[in-house]
Amino acid sequence: MAEVKVNGKKLVKRSLFWTWAPRSEKEAGDSIVRNLLLHWFPAKVTLKSLSWGYSLWLGTITATLFLILTLTGVVLMFLYVPSVERAYQSVKDIEYVVSFGWFIRAMHRNSAHLMVAFVFLHMVRVFLTGAYKNGVGAGQNRPLNWIVGVVLLLITLLLSFTGYLLPWDQLAFWAITVGTNIAKNAPIVGEWIRFVLLGGYEIEQNALIRFYVLHCFFLPAAVLVLFSYHMWRIRKDGGLACVDNLVLNQKKEKITDGIKSKTYSLLGLTTGRTVQVEATLIDEEKYTVNSIPFLIRRIGIVMLGTFVFVALISLFIHAPLEEPANPNVTPNPAKAPWYFLWLQELVAITTIRIGGFVINGAFVGGILIPGILVALLAIWPYLDKSSNLSTGVWFSKERTKQNIIFLILCFFVIVLIIIGTYMRGPNWEFYFPWEAWPQLPKKF
Amino acid sequence: MKFDRRKFLKNFGIGALLLTLVGQIYTWIRSLFPNVSYEGIKRVKIDEPDKIPDGVTFIDDIKTYIFREGKTFYAISGVCTHLGCTVKYVGLSKPKVVKIGGKEVEVKWEFHCPCHGSKFYGDGTNYAGPAPRPLDWVKVEVSPEDGKLVVDFSKKVSQNYKLTV
Repeated sequence: MAEVKVNGKKLVKRSLFWTWAPRSEKEAGDSIVRNLLLHWFPAKVTLKSLSWGYSLWLGTITATLFLILTLTGVVLMFLYVPSVERAYQSVKDIEYVVSFGWFIRAMHRNSAHLMVAFVFLHMVRVFLTGAYKNGVGAGQNRPLNWIVGVVLLLITLLLSFTGYLLPWDQLAFWAITVGTNIAKNAPIVGEWIRFVLLGGYEIEQNALIRFYVLHCFFLPAAVLVLFSYHMWRIRKDGGLACVDNLVLNQKKEKITDGIKSKTYSLLGLTTGRTVQVEATLIDEEKYTVNSIPFLIRRIGIVMLGTFVFVALISLFIHAPLEEPANPNVTPNPAKAPWYFLWLQELVAITTIRIGGFVINGAFVGGILIPGILVALLAIWPYLDKSSNLSTGVWFSKERTKQNIIFLILCFFVIVLIIIGTYMRGPNWEFYFPWEAWPQLPKKF
Repeated sequence: MKFDRRKFLKNFGIGALLLTLVGQIYTWIRSLFPNVSYEGIKRVKIDEPDKIPDGVTFIDDIKTYIFREGKTFYAISGVCTHLGCTVKYVGLSKPKVVKIGGKEVEVKWEFHCPCHGSKFYGDGTNYAGPAPRPLDWVKVEVSPEDGKLVVDFSKKVSQNYKLTV
């Protein structure tokens, strides 16, 4: 593999496969740069970026979950019929008749839940390490990438929500009833949004096919586009934020043996003063390794671990299927999936009454508070005035106050989720987990 | 300004392209707003007034409770005014006296919403939970053809609209 053979067969092999054991720096760099699957990775990577402890690899895990969801989702598309008459039966068939159907569906559902959790954890990690902040490189725009991440979080929630309706069971039907009625409470455009989302005023065939197309094509395509941009921006911003920190710390040290001029930058082409050029200050032998095999191997390990973990839990945790949708009977209690329970809790407790004047909790808890939280997330990087020494460091002292505020907000959401999950019984009344729920008459 | 043929053609071309795109996108979006609704029934013919049981009956297809008190009929929508779940009828073992709009009224039953815990008195007045307003009352009519009762869910009426047959 050391010599480049411009012979058709060899070229194809080199563009899809790569060597695990490069015999030279050039071969290591080439096997990244000339490879279709890997060309978006850097040829060299700092040990800090590779470490388990800095990034916790949460983004890679999330991406792997999305991969699992895409693969199992396509299989499920072959088996599922998006029609009001047949949807429930086809899901029931997937669960009980199709070979391994229950397993594929469990993989899909468990990955979906985990993806919501890991997107959230990834966001928390980025926040606590100040990784949305620019560092030393020219042309960096990490705040923009943070906003892309926030949008990806919202799309992940929408993907879960649209997927929820498809089995057309009681859970699905009432979650969508509540969800789209919250949308209706948005000012001015609310009614309009609900109408076009449902294709009418009721949750019927039009709504099902719309949610199906959103779930299977529109939203995944949006994720793919934004994910690509998310990755491209990481490269443009000079890699993970911890690299900037490394460079800054290097600069403070006295350089005794002169500045190294050799650089293995992006494709060997660098225009302007990018981090890669700055990073020549880094003692390369000491702080960086070739991406092949180190980065690629570690990505492989994380992907394998994620796959195995999801497969194992899917053996034990199956996707639930309730009774067929019945628009006349609301299950009691009717609960949203856990990641929306904090919203359900909010809409239940935020109706405001001032004299005769009433604001529906659906607006306050369903639109206003989440809207403020998302807006706050989006603009936070622009409010954060800490120095670039806090870029890419866990729990920087300069950022203690904002880290605490952020964690309190997260904690608040988590507490509401726990209350909603374990302490709400029939008629959304409060029960401690050890209290028994009353038996309610079946009639009505 | 000098008339510049090059510039004119460029702007004309880009403008035409944009206009075409906007037109296309408009057709796509417009097509998603249905012109005809094939949605379920809103008007249900039930039975002859005599055959309707005294007390409460739930009419499935339009999520409505119909009440009979002797010769008087009225119907209350079961759709919660908070976020649209179907409220449950709860008969009270002991009637209680409550104040509704300043008047003391005896209530024998209530409506409770399973989704977010809103509670309504027997006449639909909201008194607890997040619901912002009372349950709707819907119109009860007698069909001129066969004298059977008809409940029309799409016609909201004022509270205490009762039909005496």
